[in-house]
Amino acid sequence: MLRDARDYQILFLAFFLILGVSMRDWTLQPVVVGVAIATCLVTQAGLSFIQHQWSLRQTIESTAVTQEPLPFNWRSPLITSLGLSLLLRVDHPSTMALAAGVAIASKFVFKVNDKHFFNPANLGIVAVLLLTHDAWVSPGQWGEDLWYGLIFLGAGGLVLKRVGRWDTTAAFLGSYALLEAVRNLYLGWTWDVWAHRLMSGSLLLFALFMVTDPRSIPNARPARLIWAGAIALLTFILRNYFYIPTAVFWALFALSPLTLMLDYLWTAERFTWKPFRSPSTPLLPDQT
Amino acid sequence: MRRLRHALAGLLCILLTFGFAPNAWAFCGFYVAGADAKLYNQASQVAIAHNGNQTVMTMANDYQGDVANFALVVPVPTVIRQEQVKVVEPDSLTRLDSYSSPRLVTYPARDDDPCTALSDLFVSRTYGLYDLAAGLQTANGRRLGDSALGVTIEASFSVGEYDILILSAAESDGLTTWLTQNQYRIPDGASDVLNAYIRQGMKFFVAKVNLSELDRTGFQSLRPLQIAYDSPRFMLPIRLGMVNAQGPQDLLVYLLTPQGRVETTNYRTLEIPSNVNIPTFVRAEFGDFYQQVFANAHRQAHETATFVEYAWDLNVICDPCSADALTRPELATLGVSWVQESDNAYQLFSGDVFLTRLHVRYSRDRFPEDLTFQATANRNLFQGRYVMQQLAAPSGSLAQCSQETLQTLREYWEQSAEPSSRQDFATFVEDLLEPYSGYDDYPTYHATEDPEAYVQRFMRIAFLKHHRNTMTKLEQGAQNYSQLTGMPIDQVRRQISAYSGEGGGYVPDVWKRRYPPSA
Repeated sequence: MLRDARDYQILFLAFFLILGVSMRDWTLQPVVVGVAIATCLVTQAGLSFIQHQWSLRQTIESTAVTQEPLPFNWRSPLITSLGLSLLLRVDHPSTMALAAGVAIASKFVFKVNDKHFFNPANLGIVAVLLLTHDAWVSPGQWGEDLWYGLIFLGAGGLVLKRVGRWDTTAAFLGSYALLEAVRNLYLGWTWDVWAHRLMSGSLLLFALFMVTDPRSIPNARPARLIWAGAIALLTFILRNYFYIPTAVFWALFALSPLTLMLDYLWTAERFTWKPFRSPSTPLLPDQT
Repeated sequence: MRRLRHALAGLLCILLTFGFAPNAWAFCGFYVAGADAKLYNQASQVAIAHNGNQTVMTMANDYQGDVANFALVVPVPTVIRQEQVKVVEPDSLTRLDSYSSPRLVTYPARDDDPCTALSDLFVSRTYGLYDLAAGLQTANGRRLGDSALGVTIEASFSVGEYDILILSAAESDGLTTWLTQNQYRIPDGASDVLNAYIRQGMKFFVAKVNLSELDRTGFQSLRPLQIAYDSPRFMLPIRLGMVNAQGPQDLLVYLLTPQGRVETTNYRTLEIPSNVNIPTFVRAEFGDFYQQVFANAHRQAHETATFVEYAWDLNVICDPCSADALTRPELATLGVSWVQESDNAYQLFSGDVFLTRLHVRYSRDRFPEDLTFQATANRNLFQGRYVMQQLAAPSGSLAQCSQETLQTLREYWEQSAEPSSRQDFATFVEDLLEPYSGYDDYPTYHATEDPEAYVQRFMRIAFLKHHRNTMTKLEQGAQNYSQLTGMPIDQVRRQISAYSGEGGGYVPDVWKRRYPPSA
């Protein structure tokens, strides 16, 4: 069994990537994937180092010097890079590098009380969609095989159970499905239309891996449920009344700062990545 | 003499290549035939030019029955005024069709004639020239739907041979009744679909034929209708067309955008199989072949995907061209208003235009939603291209070719210097071939060997390589054909043996013996 829950995420994301490449005729290019991974890891390493040096200097000024080794958090940037590779399409690898760089940098820049409130991959995607003409997301790329959806659900469920945020996914998907169902009834479409609207692979991927990123969503459960519901509502509005196909990403981006407010209203213990072991083993240091 | 002819041919080819095809580095074969809209039974054709919120939609019309019964109903996002509707010539869509249809191409027989394999090392390489055959075919039209009743007439006007109404309805039963009463026949089941559009706030563009106008224009068939409107919705309603349908229907959508390739956001978009070598007998049946390829690909995608048959930057020259390049006036007719004529010779237009050809085969159970599009930044060029490689037999027998090559070498030797000062033949040959030693795994020549024996040895190897190469290419073509169409591989091989039509190319006797034509 893997120690860190993020290892499962990495495995599953990598699996989907390979599955996609081998089966689904994507516009996935190995070069672009490589650039994403490399940029994420390098940016993480670089900024961690700078941050560490900066905090060391502050420590030196105030107290005695203690040389702590800098642990390199490679799992989180790897997850971010795999997410970007799966969701984002670009015409030039440099655009992917920009997305990856912005994604990782945002963790160090947009922080309040040492918590970053933007999902890194999401911000990376939104940034290149806004700033360049070179990037796009293909909501229909995954196709409608129910079987495919089940794989997603199964894998995601497994991951989430490890991490303990399945409630957020359920809240998001449930609210969104409900809103779409109401609209479907109002329009008088048959139910296969409703099912088809929900069978977007990007939507599922988003619901399973993005909106549940435990380090950037509200800490307390009631806060998370409200937050997920709000994102679902905004996604619904953007998709059906503003006709934006990439609605989910904009919705998450717009509502991410809400995390701070919700955290203020509901204080709960901040999430940390822990290995699944007996309580006697020491915890890993708090990682970004 | 032969050398001179070859040299001239080569020079001419170079001139042609660089004179007419700026992207000569990506030579994609000579066009033979295309697979256009005529292949499909009642394929609808729609061209959509989309820039920002501006959309211009052109719908081809191939109604075959009594024009008095013709009626067209299209849900549109906004009210349409008279100045937003036009009738265009059928040619506009025909041109798009022939320009972007999947194509059969051929490469000239590679100059791997073993007979000249040795002499080619020190003589300039040769190329063949073939005629370009451009096939311009007429496209056919579209189907129509009927709708009905209950309504506000937002606008009413005539354009060309059509009488047009823009309707908005409060609810679909009323709309159905209204249309029935006004002689528009509406199929059962349309009411539900109409209801959904009404609830989304869409209007209805309804067209009928004005018989006296039609007589006056003297047109035999109905011309395409064009609607321009401003809306953030980049979509194509297809649900209405499914109401009365028996079986799947084909739709060809030509999308013109400044950004890049267009895809559907609610269905998977795949590329049709392309750039495969196929046997030369396909020349006689390319239409059937492509139909099978598409049907197969469609089935493998569980019949829920849309297919890209062509995605091309119109500023980049077509290669190979199945029709003349689209001109700015032609594009302007289709609604492309964001480009101008280019002022330099390297570009056709100033401004970007990207053409995507999507082929959708839809049925009610597989395509529950209307098509929604998005223009991506993907500017990669794609075309449906099926390649027949012409293979050629050796131009002589082994003995003949050895003799000729030896002769050529002697001639070279005799011309190299005065008899008094020149080297002996063997040394001359060694010096001549020394730069190419080991080339392509051919044996190196040393002056100790009898030149004649060497040439024979070389020829034997060259003939063997040629034979192997030919067999491999034939097998590859057969495998590709089998995979694409589902025909059993053995049957394909026999068909290769059996084909004696034009452009068949060389099929070695070994192949014909192994896979005799009759099963």
